[in-house]
Amino acid sequence: MVVLAGVSVIVFALVHLVPGDPVRLALGTRFSQETYDALRERSGLDQPLVQQFVSWLGSALTGDLGVSFRSGDTVASLIGERLPATITLAFASILVALAIAVPLGTISALRPRSLVDRVATVFSQFGISVPEFWMSIVLILVFAGTLGWLPSGGYVPLTEDPAGWLQRLILPAVVTGVVSGSVITRFVRSSVLEALGADHVRTAQAKGLSSRQVFTGHVLRNALLPLVTVTGVQLAYLLSGVVVVEIVFSWPGLGQLALQSVQARDYPVLQGAILLFAVVFLVINLVVDLLYTAIDPRIRR
Amino acid sequence: MRATRPLALAVAGTLALSACGGGESVDTGGGGGGGGDNTLVAAVSAQPDQLDPHVTTAYASFQVLENVYDTLVVPDPEDLTMQPSLATEWKTSDDGLEWRFTLRDGVTFHDGSEFDSADVVYSYNRIIDEELSNSFRFQNVESVAADGPDTVVLTLSQPTPNLLERIGSFKGMAILPEGAADDLDLTTEANGTGPFRLESSDASSTVLTAYEDYWGGAPSVDGVEFRYITEPAAALTALQNGEVQWTDNVPPQQIESLGDDDSVELETTPSVDYWYLSMNYARPPFDNRDVRRAISLAVDREAVAEAAWFGAAQANQTAIPEDSFFYYDYAPFDRDVDQARQLLQQAGVTTPLTMGLMVTDEYPETVTAAQVIASQLEEIGVTVEIETLDFATWLDRQGAGDFDAFYLGWLGNLDPAAYYQEQHQTGGPNNYQGYSNPQVDQLLQQGATEPEDEARKAIYDQAAQLIVDDVSYLYLYNPDVVQAWAPGLSGYQIRADKAINFENVELP
Repeated sequence: MVVLAGVSVIVFALVHLVPGDPVRLALGTRFSQETYDALRERSGLDQPLVQQFVSWLGSALTGDLGVSFRSGDTVASLIGERLPATITLAFASILVALAIAVPLGTISALRPRSLVDRVATVFSQFGISVPEFWMSIVLILVFAGTLGWLPSGGYVPLTEDPAGWLQRLILPAVVTGVVSGSVITRFVRSSVLEALGADHVRTAQAKGLSSRQVFTGHVLRNALLPLVTVTGVQLAYLLSGVVVVEIVFSWPGLGQLALQSVQARDYPVLQGAILLFAVVFLVINLVVDLLYTAIDPRIRR
Repeated sequence: MRATRPLALAVAGTLALSACGGGESVDTGGGGGGGGDNTLVAAVSAQPDQLDPHVTTAYASFQVLENVYDTLVVPDPEDLTMQPSLATEWKTSDDGLEWRFTLRDGVTFHDGSEFDSADVVYSYNRIIDEELSNSFRFQNVESVAADGPDTVVLTLSQPTPNLLERIGSFKGMAILPEGAADDLDLTTEANGTGPFRLESSDASSTVLTAYEDYWGGAPSVDGVEFRYITEPAAALTALQNGEVQWTDNVPPQQIESLGDDDSVELETTPSVDYWYLSMNYARPPFDNRDVRRAISLAVDREAVAEAAWFGAAQANQTAIPEDSFFYYDYAPFDRDVDQARQLLQQAGVTTPLTMGLMVTDEYPETVTAAQVIASQLEEIGVTVEIETLDFATWLDRQGAGDFDAFYLGWLGNLDPAAYYQEQHQTGGPNNYQGYSNPQVDQLLQQGATEPEDEARKAIYDQAAQLIVDDVSYLYLYNPDVVQAWAPGLSGYQIRADKAINFENVELP
């Protein structure tokens, strides 16, 4: 709660510090001074900044995040409308990422300098350095254009059309999954390597345990901690919206909303979105901490 | 799943017909999933910011609203002259101060209620009284009054020959039913008299269904789905593989190659938009006419247009495009580097002269084209420092006069007053450069009240000549409207004002 209060002050200050006038942006290029003044008054922007903050915080505490300058819709409904798409893509991407990173990272740690290890290195280099924009366009041109197997983008709710939902999810989830996966692969590889070199592993091996027992009982469990951490960070990042991928695949997520709000200087929406991202980070941190205690008995004490 | 879709849509269609309360949102089931057999799916580049026609200023909103609302008069799709719509005829008093509009009979709103003069009075007074963004269009209007249910009278403070353009050029001047702002949430709901009714609008698409009782006859398609596809390459792919049947989001660099592509039909037409460069009169040496003329002489407009739009733009040294009645064939600034250098010398400017050029990434093509301008000006010893800003910051700096020069466009102009008045009149609201020429002021005044088209044209030609000669604006080009659709789609007409009207469209 203390963190959130701090965040809200910073968010409000930062958002208002950025140059740009939402009223001018909303009115376009042709308008009279009277029109300008009228809209400014209606949006409450003629009030002193401190007063604006107090009234915003007051309503935010009661769960009312205000009304968008740009659309006239409530911030809560604008965000709520985009949450399902964002959550869907974030979790699908993490699944893709883990499905790639865990086996690839583990095998390359168990067999350093093998072919798999080299593939893993190239893969993670590729995922980190290739622009998401380029990867997305290439996938669209190949899978939606040339092959015609998948739609070029868009989003349908799962409840409406499960097949369409899955078809539209694949390409964006692969792009973000590859990017997150390449980060996670590196973590998995180094943490498995580290665990392999630990004293207790040598003891376990000396005790005559089979390599399988050593791996599942002593290596994997220790390597799991950094994996949970980095996965949490990646998930939080994905949940705050992946702007480029959302735009290229016409995915109606929070990233696009945040971008539009920045461009329009739509303060209420921007504040609401950033506040939500802060809450997401806090919740994920909490979950990660809880998982730590579940995985590692030492932390419980 | 696929087989059930047309059925779901048919059911939704009947529901929509019987539902007369207005504002119900019926889920078509095909919302984001491909539409029914006779629904046109159009890929547009952005989501409407909101759907209140009197409040929004976004093009994405007007793409939708064009099909939902009507105005008293509308621009003709061919030559953009004003034609009857909700008003069937109009008469102007001899002194030009009173306009009587006769309204169309038998027009109903989407909720079934009758259209009459009270709706016009309500709509116009809403714009005027609440100081909404288009209130400037009524600046000469003293009163809007009904004279019986079929007649509306506009009383003016001075003759306004372009009144029809002011009230009909786009759906920002839409007629809403009386009391609409209290009865509906106009940001998300609609009740118009147009060919389509608003069904639903979300973060993926906006869905319209045909209004069977439309006064102009029911549309040929059952509905239209506007799907937002921001990335041009994705929009084009969606068109090529049949996910959508129409788009205006074509990658400019592919316009030429698409001409020979059988999988899409591509059409272009010169638009009424113009792009220009403007220098700050408050910042020497740009207050010097010779310096501005030198810079104008150094710019190769063809090359700039090519860089910005890959050939889908016509270089122009004045504002108004060639197809318009008010086009003025005047081109004194064909590129001449020697003369430009001479003028700079004459002005006593020591080169290299540095000029900041403000562009915005809101219009990425201007960022590219600015580099071409920079390299052209380099040749006469003017070093251009390009400043790429986001639009909000850009507008701030423009408003504060904090610039040497900027590069932007004016979109959707129809009347010469819209092209010149606010931009070049002394102290005009959009005269950010600080231009002042009493002769121009006088001509613009005259043009604003002259009723005869030929005489008006002569007046604006003179004004344009002075504006170009003085380089109040350094005019660059008129971009083309570029749209593509599925082969076999018919009944659609591409328009210079970029209005998108699907009333008569028929699917292949």
